[in-house]
Amino acid sequence: MDERQLKDLLNNDVPATDGNARKRAVNLALAEFADAQKDSSKNFQGKGFWTRLTDRSNQTPRRDKMNSKLVYGGMATAMALILAVGATLPHMNNTATLRTGAIQNGASSAPGSMGLSKDKVEADASSTLAMAEMAKPMAAPAEAKKGDSFNSLLKNLKESQPAPAAPVMESMVMTGAANIAPAMPMGRMMVMDAMPQPGYHDVGRDKFEHVEDSPVKQVKAEPVSTFSIDVDTSSYSFIRKQLNSGVLPQKDAVRVEEMVNYFDYNYALPEDKAEPFKPSVTVTPSPWNEGHKLVHIGIKGYDIAATAKPRSNLVFLIDTSGSMNEQDKLPLLKNSFKMLLDSLKADDTVSIVTYAGNAGIALEPTKVSDKAKIIAALDSLGAGGGTAGAEGIRTAYQLAESNLDKNGVNRVILATDGDFNIGITDHNELKSFIERERASGVFLSVLGFGQGNYNDQMMQDLAQNGNGVAAYIDNLNEARKVLVQEASSTLFTIAKDVKIQVEFNPAMVSEYRLVGYETRALAKEDFNNDKVDAGDIGAGHAVTAIYDITPVGTAPSVDPSRYGASTSAAPARPEATALEYGFLKLRYKLPNGDTSKLITTPISVAGEKPLASTKCPAGAECLVADSFGASDDVRFSVAVAGFGQLLKGGKYTGKLSYDDVIVMAQGAKGDDPYGYRAEFINLVRLAKTMPALPNTEQ
Amino acid sequence: MPRHTDKMMQNLDDNQLVARACAGDSRAFEILVERHYDRMFRMAFKWCRNRESAEDITQNACIKLARAISSFKGRAAFTSWLYRLVINTAIDWQRQNVKPTEELGDETVAVPAGVEEKMIAEEGLAKVMALPEKEKTALLLVLGEGLSHKEVAVIMECKESTVSWYIFEARKKLGVKTDKKERHHG
Repeated sequence: MDERQLKDLLNNDVPATDGNARKRAVNLALAEFADAQKDSSKNFQGKGFWTRLTDRSNQTPRRDKMNSKLVYGGMATAMALILAVGATLPHMNNTATLRTGAIQNGASSAPGSMGLSKDKVEADASSTLAMAEMAKPMAAPAEAKKGDSFNSLLKNLKESQPAPAAPVMESMVMTGAANIAPAMPMGRMMVMDAMPQPGYHDVGRDKFEHVEDSPVKQVKAEPVSTFSIDVDTSSYSFIRKQLNSGVLPQKDAVRVEEMVNYFDYNYALPEDKAEPFKPSVTVTPSPWNEGHKLVHIGIKGYDIAATAKPRSNLVFLIDTSGSMNEQDKLPLLKNSFKMLLDSLKADDTVSIVTYAGNAGIALEPTKVSDKAKIIAALDSLGAGGGTAGAEGIRTAYQLAESNLDKNGVNRVILATDGDFNIGITDHNELKSFIERERASGVFLSVLGFGQGNYNDQMMQDLAQNGNGVAAYIDNLNEARKVLVQEASSTLFTIAKDVKIQVEFNPAMVSEYRLVGYETRALAKEDFNNDKVDAGDIGAGHAVTAIYDITPVGTAPSVDPSRYGASTSAAPARPEATALEYGFLKLRYKLPNGDTSKLITTPISVAGEKPLASTKCPAGAECLVADSFGASDDVRFSVAVAGFGQLLKGGKYTGKLSYDDVIVMAQGAKGDDPYGYRAEFINLVRLAKTMPALPNTEQ
Repeated sequence: MPRHTDKMMQNLDDNQLVARACAGDSRAFEILVERHYDRMFRMAFKWCRNRESAEDITQNACIKLARAISSFKGRAAFTSWLYRLVINTAIDWQRQNVKPTEELGDETVAVPAGVEEKMIAEEGLAKVMALPEKEKTALLLVLGEGLSHKEVAVIMECKESTVSWYIFEARKKLGVKTDKKERHHG
């Protein structure tokens, strides 16, 4: 076979398109388009399809959604640059390649041509027929823009790199019989080189794992939902940093559960101290879907009194690579650790390991009573060199083990801005190393700093496998929150491998959707398998999970089985069918235990409350004063969940708007001693005013 | 947005239509889909060599386009971007379906003269179908669609030399004699 034959082989016998198939495709696409428009009225940037298209090469730096404004600016520029002149010659069936000085013309005459563009389009339109007969300039102008947008366009033009070569324009003659635009030569322009490199934000280089939202599940098909709890908060701090610097966060950076769990909630504590926590279940109407309800599960771990705190053996593993040499990285990190020192007890030990090129011990295990020495060691740290995270981790674990306190807290606290780029770079190898070390009793917490190089996925993986917390520290305030205020929850685990399983009652609930926790889903058989690792709860930690459920229209009073799963004729729990939305099961292990314990509670109709203030409204008859609506904590967490979902694209949040979130959060602010909730409300305001796709100006 | 009559809309170029579609103009989107349906179908057919599958792939690609269009950033020509969409859809399809080589129907291979030639052609196509995804992509775009290596490099997000290498590999596997002139193409 030769070239020619192969070409024929590939190109021969391609059938003509079928009119019906085409019509169907167009209609389906249009329907989807209408849907997409509906979604995007909520949604600032549409689904990042480009990202999905490139998911096999996602490692390459991406200019992500938050840059769409800039990119669109670039696109407008490109349109101006494509003021190229394509000539369709008569009887030309083959590809014509014309080289033109289009770029230069386009750039130098841009103001004039921009003004003329509209007329040109219309002129073209009126002479469409003539086009096939005579060579005629085909204007491809950008939409005429006025005022600011025009100026920004000019600015873009000036900033754009001069193209190395004039674009090649090929006019192609379509062979399809049913070509809709027969008179319109298809201008295929490779304008890549003419594209300005949009000055994209550094954040585009931060790595986030892309995870699909948890889908809506049918109770009949899948009555059981299982997941591991997640006490990380890094997503919220990262988003806050982004919003404060004027960009919407990447959707993949948004993990709704981490946003919700960022805040402290005063859910009920267990009466019996033998249990580390108890779940509080509230059912409320859904604020984003009429008719839907939310099942709100709150867990609050007991706090350890300062005097009862176990001894801590901490190893600070500090990234001192060159990239840490920024104000919001190493300096912030040093100050954060100094704060942590203040909250430690005199006989706790601290050691410092650095990693940059060669892993080194900067401070041998030292009692906190010798604070001056620790601070001096911290201060002497400087940034430079590459990042050999794996070596550092090995050294850190060795130190922690050499000083292991069986009854105390042994923890490596890793502080870094991102990748481990020297040494073991294999993600999985590192993960399994940490997993093995976990068994020795040394846990790992991860503190993230800075942005631009931030490797969120790595941090998450490491912390999850090391029984630790991943937190993102963007300022001193956050350092104080994580390392001082919440030091006990960051450091002292009160229950590990906490898993939640909810079985929904098909007689009451037709569909459910877990809000967030996408990365924490477990198989239902993992629930009872104590070997399967799950999230941990620290002292005083509050964890919230929210299900969005669709109740069955009318609740049947009699049903063949409790949850329909059983095939036996006798109803397992007839009395429960109309009273329970589902059944909540919780498994956890005590910090040193290997076998799990079970806590169960039904999600009953009795736990249902309106999504309104707890104050009894005038005119309503309340049995107990001040317990009319769901608690402030419940309502506030729902508001945060709403905001998270909006940032993720608002796929499931119906008519919910930022304003709704603000109102809801305002009404549920409560005491807010540290102002975190007020700060949240400001963030929502920021997000609301943040520019969406600039397509409204067209 | 200036009001345009339908005829004027037909005369807008792809990027203009994309901009309008992104602003929510469904007519602009419709024109785009109709304008490119044939091209998409052709590519899909060449990929799977079966009319029904090609229609499915094209349809899915059109639906995907509805959401994806807002993420078209004009870094490459719209058609390049579209090729990519179709190919990715085709690859998804291929991964979900039985080996495409088994689906070779009669209508797909119709070499006019001689049974023997027909068999050779069928064999050749089977070999094309069996190529690794990237080599197949490069081959279909360069030889099938007549794009330059440079254009294909944009579509495949790789270096031009990588495209040339894919083509070289594909040719080797198909037993095609290398045409010297072609080697320097693009």
